[in-house]
Amino acid sequence: MKYIDEVQKGMDLLGSHPKSIFIGQAVEYKGTALTHQVKNFHPEKLLELPVAEEFQAGFAIGLALEGYLPVSLYPRMNFIILAVNQIINHLDKWEAMSVGKSKPKVIMKAVVGSAHPLDPGHQHKANYTEAFKSMSTNIDVVELIYPHQVFDAYQRALDTDKSTLIIEHGDMYK
Amino acid sequence: MNQNDLIEFENEIANIYEKGIIRAPIHLRSGNESQLIDIFKNIKKEDYVYSTWASHLHSLLKGVPINVVKDAILEGRSITLNFPEHNVYSSAIVGGTPSIAVGTAYALKRQRKSGRVYCFLGDMGFHTGIAYESIKYSVGHDLPITFVVEDNGKSVGTPTFNTWHIDTYYIYELMCKMAHGSKDVRIEYYKYESKYPHAGTGTFVEF
Repeated sequence: MKYIDEVQKGMDLLGSHPKSIFIGQAVEYKGTALTHQVKNFHPEKLLELPVAEEFQAGFAIGLALEGYLPVSLYPRMNFIILAVNQIINHLDKWEAMSVGKSKPKVIMKAVVGSAHPLDPGHQHKANYTEAFKSMSTNIDVVELIYPHQVFDAYQRALDTDKSTLIIEHGDMYK
Repeated sequence: MNQNDLIEFENEIANIYEKGIIRAPIHLRSGNESQLIDIFKNIKKEDYVYSTWASHLHSLLKGVPINVVKDAILEGRSITLNFPEHNVYSSAIVGGTPSIAVGTAYALKRQRKSGRVYCFLGDMGFHTGIAYESIKYSVGHDLPITFVVEDNGKSVGTPTFNTWHIDTYYIYELMCKMAHGSKDVRIEYYKYESKYPHAGTGTFVEF
């Protein structure tokens, strides 16, 4: 069982949902390891966004409120920090703010940047999993370290009515 | 609802608040009733309204029943009134809703639905980077969205001009120039002065 194969099975599962739409940087255009994971999806399922992480996170909430299942991709976990306002102050609080009447569901995926064979330095390989777990009340934050964890986590993310942040490790993609 | 109805509603909430019944901050507005009535003449039931921490009047004009808005305020939710059954959402965070509003506008267009999104922004919120990104994306993709700048010249007590040193109306004009080529994106602006402070009534507990 290989980690990357399980990741692809999980992504294919999300891609099979009729309302899923994959958003972020390098989904329509080559650029990161995540590009390979969506390359076989129908082009209508892919939406390349500008590099504007907070905008992307809010945009995903807005899509979800109109019935879509956004899968919001952040190829480096360092960059999702820029989206924390929307993820924690809005998505995480939305159900409480609407007294349980509205619960937009967003699946987010962030990748801890690989350090081998090339070490990208201090700003591209951080793992903020514990920080997100600490900040989140209603979002499931799931770090995937072992291959056997991966597909079940994607299945749960699809089945639950909660939003999920999936965290993967670029070094495990090899 | 007419202008007097809106004024009376806020006055009633102010009176209740001063009796210490509401155990949360409240955000009252005045001086913008006629402008809002004009704007809401065009807003239909299926349209979305994304608002700010000051959303009593927006909720009422969108068609949320008076007693429902009042109950939510009495329950302590003045700062984030959300009525999904009426497509009314608000955020207490500056610049909190524009990107969400754009996502909804994109979804409406993609599904060829007839609704429209109205995103209300205070003047300080209008100056934020996320507001600029949201307007720019809407213009670039010609989304069914109207941004409404509600300019009372300050954020809490901080004068917007004194901090940015650029007039909000000038930024509005720049944004209108950017939106000029778009069929669907509209940007509206109005200036007003509220008799109420940012939060509360000015005579009771300060938030």
